[in-house]
Amino acid sequence: MTRTCFLHGNEAAAEGALAAGCRFYAGYPITPSTEIAEILSTRLPELGGTFIQMEDEIASMAAVIGASLGGLKSATATSGPGFSLMQENLGFAVASEIPCVIINVQRVGPSTGLPTKAAQGDMMQARWGTHGDHPIIALTPSSVQEAWRLAVRAFELSETYRTPVLLMIDAIVAQLKEKVELPDAPVAVPRPLPTEPPDQYKPFAFLEGAVQPLAPFGGDYRYHVTGLLHDEHGFPTENPELVARWWTHMTSKIDAHLDDILEWEEHGLEDADVAVLSYGASARAAARAVELARERGLRAGWLKLLTVWPFPEARIRALAERVPRIVVPEMNLGQIRREVERLAAGRAQVQGVHRADGLAITPEQVLAAIAGS
Amino acid sequence: MAYDRRLASTWQLLLDSICTTMGALGTAGGSHPPIVLSSLPDLPYARDGRDGPAPLTFIQSPPGRTIAMAIGLRAARPHTPLVLVMNADSVTLGTNHLIHAARRNVGMTVLLLRSDLTQHEAPGTMDRAAWGVPARQQRAESPTRPLEWATALEAALVGRADIQRPDELAALLTRAVQTPGFSLIGVTADPSLPTGVLSRCEAPEYFAAYRTWAAPLRLADDAAAGTSAAAPPAHQPTRAVPRLELRIAGLGGQGVKLAGSVLSEAAGLHEGLWATQRGDYGSATRGGPSMVDVVIGSDPITYPNADHPDVLVLLTQAAAVRHAAGARSGAVVIADPGEVGTLPEGAVAVPIAVLARTHTGKPLAAGIVAAGCAAAATRGAIGLEALERGIAEQLPAALVAANVAACRAGHAATLELLQERVT
Repeated sequence: MTRTCFLHGNEAAAEGALAAGCRFYAGYPITPSTEIAEILSTRLPELGGTFIQMEDEIASMAAVIGASLGGLKSATATSGPGFSLMQENLGFAVASEIPCVIINVQRVGPSTGLPTKAAQGDMMQARWGTHGDHPIIALTPSSVQEAWRLAVRAFELSETYRTPVLLMIDAIVAQLKEKVELPDAPVAVPRPLPTEPPDQYKPFAFLEGAVQPLAPFGGDYRYHVTGLLHDEHGFPTENPELVARWWTHMTSKIDAHLDDILEWEEHGLEDADVAVLSYGASARAAARAVELARERGLRAGWLKLLTVWPFPEARIRALAERVPRIVVPEMNLGQIRREVERLAAGRAQVQGVHRADGLAITPEQVLAAIAGS
Repeated sequence: MAYDRRLASTWQLLLDSICTTMGALGTAGGSHPPIVLSSLPDLPYARDGRDGPAPLTFIQSPPGRTIAMAIGLRAARPHTPLVLVMNADSVTLGTNHLIHAARRNVGMTVLLLRSDLTQHEAPGTMDRAAWGVPARQQRAESPTRPLEWATALEAALVGRADIQRPDELAALLTRAVQTPGFSLIGVTADPSLPTGVLSRCEAPEYFAAYRTWAAPLRLADDAAAGTSAAAPPAHQPTRAVPRLELRIAGLGGQGVKLAGSVLSEAAGLHEGLWATQRGDYGSATRGGPSMVDVVIGSDPITYPNADHPDVLVLLTQAAAVRHAAGARSGAVVIADPGEVGTLPEGAVAVPIAVLARTHTGKPLAAGIVAAGCAAAATRGAIGLEALERGIAEQLPAALVAANVAACRAGHAATLELLQERVT
């Protein structure tokens, strides 16, 4: 059973988090993400959960990690300036494999930028914002329905792979209101628990392509958690062999499951001469532009990324083999376009449609690129 | 003890105090042993004469962030003692967290090493790591006084213990752990400083108070399952309505956003269409330019902006200047002649502000009148009945009748003028 609602993207993301079982939120309000905090401050107490407004985003991210270690599905939401502050503890969550969800409602940066205006300028920060090599998962909804669904998905992926997951909404989708169909019942899957007895538990087992379930911290399973590179028990190590095994575990737990993690949609690419590859709000303009192009007899199709990190490399390589031209509209100066260029490797011509002035990419802009001007 | 305390490291003495405390808590019937948090990785390894790390449930946080991490743990595990072992980073880059945790009285016990750096104390007297402020800086600056801060912030317990008397430290630590709320214990090596409890304050622990506050708000499981913005099931689209872009533009305070909500929800929830609503309400709530785009149709809406509106309602001269040129050719443009000095060519003139005042007495109702005008130009895609349901859902009951009347007036006036134009 579903119910029909009329929500904006921030509301849908907040409801999605709750439906996924999120019961702890720590955050610091920032435009254009504030509605998420506002909604959760009301809704979490109703569900027996905890909302806390912290002193800053550094503390918010730290508290989210603490709560998740304690056994609660946990999230925070922010925008660019706050996302910058979260990078320190985001790295801790990556290194110590603590599941959590960070929602970044993107506005124009750098710095305070254009606080109320939409952008997709944090895509590379999502990939590489915290220091050091690291795996990460980032999702980008292009509609209110997707904001809800990908919020749920973010928790599933986070819990399954014991990694922070970034839900990269842009301010257009966050503020957009539209009709959504939501399931009546909650969709939360409980966090998996270890099956072995505490004395045999390796909280950071170096499994290839798999993760050890995380035991709630402070209970019967006693272990160490650290941001230092560590052995399978969580004790710091500088042993290069152990560090190498740690890296294999960290990268393979994501790379071995791309079929599960990667998600995209495509339309009209079978006979297309031009593919429009986009994500978030820009994908809406892309879809409209393809409609208009088809009305004019131009053979265009679109591909919409729902998972941005890891990047769907095999699909983009195959696409570049198939179509002579790929247009990449995005509300930044070419962050994902460069990824597409790297994968196209000269086999297809890649053309960006970019703006970072706070306004939406328009269908006319994309149509002009499709038409080759 | 299997070793000579006089030769023991700071870490060993601290660890002993914590282990003694764990034992005391265990005999007092504590549930789980404390979680120990620190940004210092050394603590679990300070096992003079023993093998392997100490059996602690231990988090080594990034420097200075320990308290913030403990706040999340406290929310998740209300009854597990949290013991934080912290050094200068908690009164430098972590000061913000220390102050707010003390102010809020979040349940945890912080052991603060080098809490009493004075202008006379040489750096590095506390332990082997010898961290601290450079001597010149120490002389030039007034010292941090975290114990005094915590007292001023009415933390539950503030005290000091001498690391050279670990049994006393353990006793104070045990007492602090058993005190609900935020405790700060300065750990010193200066025998001239007073030790023991320095201040106490009775206040509820933060999350205990939160749970008390939240308990009556808790929904039954059935109600909790739903979403906050539930609405009755929509009709499936039974008719083909091509993509239709509507834009209403005016000033903040004219109810433009409300007009968008009423129109889009009438279309989306009551006419069984797809609908989007997107606004640019400016940074000022009142007085700045404000506009809303509603896009409807029987197919899902791709691009949600009404860049080339089929229906455009203009509430001010500034809105006309900014938006009139963007209208699609053949669009229905509705303008308030009382506000828009120069009517765009072919515009339908509806006295929107006058109708709003007449029916509601409030300029805020201009948006509701405009919604009626816009719906009248949708060739039946958004009917008056759906609009009225939208108003009833979105406005307080006492205001519904007047706003429905205002909406009907805008709808009727527009319909009449459009019919005149046809005939």
